Amino acid sequence: MNRPAGRRLFGKYVVVLLLLVGGVLLLSSALDLYFSYQETKAALVRIEREQAVAAAARIEQFVQDIERQVRWTTQAAFDDPVAAQEQREIDYLRLLRNIPAIAEISHLDASGKERLRVSRLGLDAIGSQEDHSRAPKFLEARAGKTYFSPVYFRNESEPYMTVAVPAGEYGVEVTVAEVTLKAIWDVVSRIRIGQAGYAYVVDSLGRLVAHPDISLVLQKRDLSALPQVRAARGRRPAGGEEDVGMIAAGLQGGRFLTAHAPIAPLGWLVFVEQPLGEAFAPLQASIVRSIILFALGLALSVLASVLLARRMVAPIRTLQAGAARIGAGDLTHRIQVRTGDELETLGDEFNRTAARLQESYAGLEQKVEARTRELTDALEQLKALADVSRAVGSTLDLETVLDTIVARAVELSATSSGVIYEYDEATGAFHLKGSHRLEEEVVEVLRATPILLGEGAVGKAVAARAPIQVADILDEREYDVARIRAIFERLGYRSVLAVPLLLEQRIMGGLVVWRQAPGRFAPEVVNLVQTLAAQSVLAIHNARLFREIEDKGRQLESASKHKSQFLANMSHELRTPLNAILGYTKLITNNIYGEVPGKIRDVLGRVDQSGRHLLSLINDVLDVSKIEAGQLVLSLGEYSMKEVVHTVATAVEALAAEKKLSLKIMAAPDLPRGRGDERRLTQAVLNLVSNAIKFTDVGEVTVQATASDGSFLVSVSDTGPGISPADQQRIFEEFQQVDSSSTRKKGGTGLGLSIARRIVELHGGRMWVDSAPGEGSTFSFTLPVRVERREAR
Amino acid sequence: MSRRVLVIEDQEDNRRIVRDLLTSADYEVIEAETGEAGVAMAETARPGLILMDIQLPGIDGYEATRRIKANPALHHIPIIVITSYALSGDDVKAFDAGCDDYLAKPYDPFALLAKIRERLP
Repeated sequence: MNRPAGRRLFGKYVVVLLLLVGGVLLLSSALDLYFSYQETKAALVRIEREQAVAAAARIEQFVQDIERQVRWTTQAAFDDPVAAQEQREIDYLRLLRNIPAIAEISHLDASGKERLRVSRLGLDAIGSQEDHSRAPKFLEARAGKTYFSPVYFRNESEPYMTVAVPAGEYGVEVTVAEVTLKAIWDVVSRIRIGQAGYAYVVDSLGRLVAHPDISLVLQKRDLSALPQVRAARGRRPAGGEEDVGMIAAGLQGGRFLTAHAPIAPLGWLVFVEQPLGEAFAPLQASIVRSIILFALGLALSVLASVLLARRMVAPIRTLQAGAARIGAGDLTHRIQVRTGDELETLGDEFNRTAARLQESYAGLEQKVEARTRELTDALEQLKALADVSRAVGSTLDLETVLDTIVARAVELSATSSGVIYEYDEATGAFHLKGSHRLEEEVVEVLRATPILLGEGAVGKAVAARAPIQVADILDEREYDVARIRAIFERLGYRSVLAVPLLLEQRIMGGLVVWRQAPGRFAPEVVNLVQTLAAQSVLAIHNARLFREIEDKGRQLESASKHKSQFLANMSHELRTPLNAILGYTKLITNNIYGEVPGKIRDVLGRVDQSGRHLLSLINDVLDVSKIEAGQLVLSLGEYSMKEVVHTVATAVEALAAEKKLSLKIMAAPDLPRGRGDERRLTQAVLNLVSNAIKFTDVGEVTVQATASDGSFLVSVSDTGPGISPADQQRIFEEFQQVDSSSTRKKGGTGLGLSIARRIVELHGGRMWVDSAPGEGSTFSFTLPVRVERREAR
Repeated sequence: MSRRVLVIEDQEDNRRIVRDLLTSADYEVIEAETGEAGVAMAETARPGLILMDIQLPGIDGYEATRRIKANPALHHIPIIVITSYALSGDDVKAFDAGCDDYLAKPYDPFALLAKIRERLP
């Protein structure tokens, strides 16, 4: 059910109010209608009945007149029968003349025989002697009563009635009058009620006697079955008083309001009837009026119900909607119900609850906000510290690092500007090393006349080895540097925080921040600035160390350069005289200066040999020093490893042959062409092979060269004394031979292996030895086949 | 073709060794101690071959070689450069300067003689 409760409530109110108002209206209308119906009906019946009674009275009058006239004719008493007869005849004729309703009058004697008959209808007869002694008319009248016969019709069209009265002196004779009832019909047909109302008469047997429509009378309609007739006849003994009105079917159908009155002497009944439609026409108008009024009332009551229900429901809806909004989280919403009743109280209650919720939420939000701010601050500090650490670690430009640190310190401490000083121990002055958002004039003043130890905030902080705050620069007791205070006063700075930069109690400088608001700095700010000060100490320390290292490096570099130059010069200087010695020796032994005796030639041979040894020593020393100085640059080019090996073999052939050693060269046939420094590689292989020959007395020296996986593998094996594992480590170092005596014995500088290994390594290769004492030695190296440009070490 | 060899060398001993060697092999030897003097002597004496030391006072052997080779009149004279072992890449520099052959110190005098005989029989 998504229908809002307000809608349902509204419906309920409307229905209840409608039932209430509508019901009352309906009931009153119905009662009004009922009573007015009853009254109308009673009034109509009364009118009808009055008419009926009047008609009945006139008919009764008519009948009684006739009876009286007829009786009157019989009162004359004559002794003489003839005279009586004549007088009677005269009376009868006069009667016929005076009373048109009497159509025939006859006289019956005591025996019931007709003595005289005067008639408008037929011939008069005197003494006809017709015997009527058995007829009811004679018998009734003789008994002293007036006889009224049932209605009968002559010529099938005219209603007649026989009236018989006693006559004669003793009342034993009878006068009989035949009376036409057309007069009654006239009476009846004259009765009019409204447009369609009419009257009719029925006799004691219930047969229609008179009716405006004569044809119905002529049909001799028996109306005894009609309910109103039956009811009237049944009531007769009771006296037939008032209240005789009812609704019944008319003679020819339709509904009629009917009333009647009795005609006493005849036992007849006069009915007056009016069609219901006409009779109740005023009532119908009244009904229509009532219905219209009812409808109007109902419409008004609907309107009123709706308005009332709306008035009742509106505040409830407002409450409901407001509660829903508050419930949905809109705590700023307030319910506006101004009904001054319980609903308003309820609305106020909701409002109070919402307000309390809002307050508690606001409190919660503030807490969350505060915590978030703290976290953000902490994060920012961490970030700043990370920044600073990175700066300290990545750049050795002190000014950049210190500028970064000051900037972070100013940002995080929410101050206006800041500086970092480096302390100069020699002068006791603080020199500006980094600043952030500091006005140029302040910088100039600080540069021109540096702050001294014990002066100003930073001087005091450093002297005290603790942070110093100046809550108000304008206070002379707090801040004593007049030249700065004047500027700060103009620029609007009010408070200062100075933190010393200390490296294990050694003064490095100070970190200072300024702000425009006076007052003390929060402990967190002081902590933060101290942390950044520690970073500054590191940065300054690093920078100083770096400066020292740089100086040392420069000195070393220059020393190394001098050494290399010196060696190059030395080498040249040594080589030049040596060149002369060797040259002259060669010329002498080749007899350029004349025949040389055998003994001298022998000595000259030793001179030549010693000279060459000296030359190789000089060359080796030069090589080593160049390698050490990183000045040995490979001259890369195409070469054939096979040729290198064979060049070396050629160079040492004589040497091997001299020692009667077998020299085997085993170069793989499919060696690829290499790229490298051919001369240096040749030198390396030559050194290895020379060594092998030098240290081998008996047996052979084998040189092998193969290639696989983009590398050459060159090994030089000998059948020499072998090298102990301990010595294997040392032999590649400079000036090391297995035993120092061997240097003297075998000659050589002890630099050959070292140079060979460095050459191989410069090519990106590796050199090692496999050996055991008494087993000979194998020196091997691998080497990339293709060596591209690589930096000298 | 003259069998005159110009030796440009600042070291007296080296000059003498070459002089003694070449004289014994029937070459005429003329000498210069500096690069400038050597270039001038090449123009005036028109030697059949020049031995050029690299380390010279004044202009060095490379520059002297370039100047001689730049002179169309002297362009054809073969120049053998004597390089110093101490400085690597000397051979390349020597050829770049325009020399015809080179020999590294210390050299065997008879190897030098063989190279000269090749160029100046």
